[in-house]
Amino acid sequence: MTILPPPGRAEVIDWLAGLGQRPPGTERIDSMELAWLVHQVEQRYGVELPDEQLERMTTIDAAVAVLAEVLSSHV
Amino acid sequence: MGVLAFESFVYNDFGARMAMDDSFVVPGIEKWVDEVLLDGPGTQVCLRLPEVIDRAKLRRLVQERQIELAQSGLRAGGAAALRLPPSLAFVTHLLAVWRSGGQAILLDHRLTDYEVRRAIERLVPQVVVAPAGPVVAGLRTFVDVEASIASYSGHPASTAHAVVQLSSGSTGPSKVIGRTAEDLVEEVKRYTQIDGVPVENERLILLPSMVHVLGLVGGLLYGLHAGVELVPPARLTGDAILQAIAAEPTPATVLGVPFHIGLLASVQQSRSLPQFKRMTTGGELVPKAVSDAFEQKYGVPLGNMYGMTEVGVIGTDLYGQHRPAIRPAPGIEVRTVDGELQIARKESPYLGLSDPARWSDGWLRTRDAGVVDPETGLVSIKGRLDSQVSVGGLKVDLTEVEYTLGTLRGVEAAVVVYDGSITAYLQLKERRETVRLEAELSQRLASYKRPRTLHVLDQLPRTTTGKLVRDLTVLRKAVS
Repeated sequence: MTILPPPGRAEVIDWLAGLGQRPPGTERIDSMELAWLVHQVEQRYGVELPDEQLERMTTIDAAVAVLAEVLSSHV
Repeated sequence: MGVLAFESFVYNDFGARMAMDDSFVVPGIEKWVDEVLLDGPGTQVCLRLPEVIDRAKLRRLVQERQIELAQSGLRAGGAAALRLPPSLAFVTHLLAVWRSGGQAILLDHRLTDYEVRRAIERLVPQVVVAPAGPVVAGLRTFVDVEASIASYSGHPASTAHAVVQLSSGSTGPSKVIGRTAEDLVEEVKRYTQIDGVPVENERLILLPSMVHVLGLVGGLLYGLHAGVELVPPARLTGDAILQAIAAEPTPATVLGVPFHIGLLASVQQSRSLPQFKRMTTGGELVPKAVSDAFEQKYGVPLGNMYGMTEVGVIGTDLYGQHRPAIRPAPGIEVRTVDGELQIARKESPYLGLSDPARWSDGWLRTRDAGVVDPETGLVSIKGRLDSQVSVGGLKVDLTEVEYTLGTLRGVEAAVVVYDGSITAYLQLKERRETVRLEAELSQRLASYKRPRTLHVLDQLPRTTTGKLVRDLTVLRKAVS
């Protein structure tokens, strides 16, 4: 199995766009987007993200940082 | 509310009513809770969390909660505010409040302290039930919380409603909606007459919060009444929903909002799920492409429901045959006046002075544009006539957001629009950092009501007569 690097900001924005219309420049991630993002990450990486980390994923940059942390330690 | 009965019996573990020992202090027993919700075989599974809660256990837990609530000061005719996330604590306290002849004020646990304080000051409950510690919910649809009960007042409830819910209001504070026990029972019975709802010994995979009407009545109350197992998935992900369906061989209906269809439609590897019977969503309309993709992937009907907090379920299309129209539920009378859909309702559902713009002369104004087909009686919903939007199935009135922004220090004027998400445009009268404004707003508005983006402009666009412009194109241009 190929080990994927953690997603960057552009990828996270791209995945969120899959949920529907998202005004450009929107930084804050709402609860539905979080569920969607976690769904995307867990499908691609085959991991389950812990609740405590999810609470921190409130903006795009925070999500990228958390995912870098969690997915790096996972591999 | 029905007549209170202070009868001396409890349930034993076999579901039989058992005479009470005189030394055991039991609060009042409101009959409808037993007759409509709690009666049934003691071994029948009510909730799978995955811990199995059968009727006998649920009845025992409810009685324990009744005693605790009574010890904290809840009396028949008094109100208890429940500020709990969907949880066993919520279910048992809610049923205990009702069984004790009390009124349950449901406060979404995501509301801010500010919003809760305003609600409590207005509704004056006798007790407030809240989590004993911080809740880390993550993506859990049902959480494990320990509840703590605080005594608040000795006042009786201001009305005889069994449940009181807050809805995002049109002018500042949330509007307050009350429903009587009779009305709730009527809605539960209405569900039993709708073809396509889950039936006894089937399962309901419950995704919406049971603090709001769809999950509360369509999920919890109907499930308890009909003997349908309620199964909240472990987490709100596509995989977890499918795991919940696959966990038992009995037929499973998924109840959710349109967002959940997208989650399920995007699961990469779908497994064979012969027990998957149907998915039903409430909330906004589902685009045809989305419903087609879902039905193609899972081969089960995608049903649609339309309702509102004030009434509960109004109409359904559980087989997806009339999309996007719905058929009024049994006992629901609808009409349109000047393009607005109205629902027959004898009493105003609103606490306090009744606003004729919302209810008058036995008709509830939905503020939804609608068309009723004279031939078939089918109803088509054509969108909102006011500033209310749906965020993940939760209704948010943009004027409430605008009003609250206007209360922040330094804000001269605010325009809030829905641009794929809630977006605010502000004009300030003194220099303020956006992050500070967002932080202050987070103290006053629940997260799902808050603008995703705040744009601060030197001058908000105005018409020649000085009115604020709400046109999206103009507002976007003003930013660029």
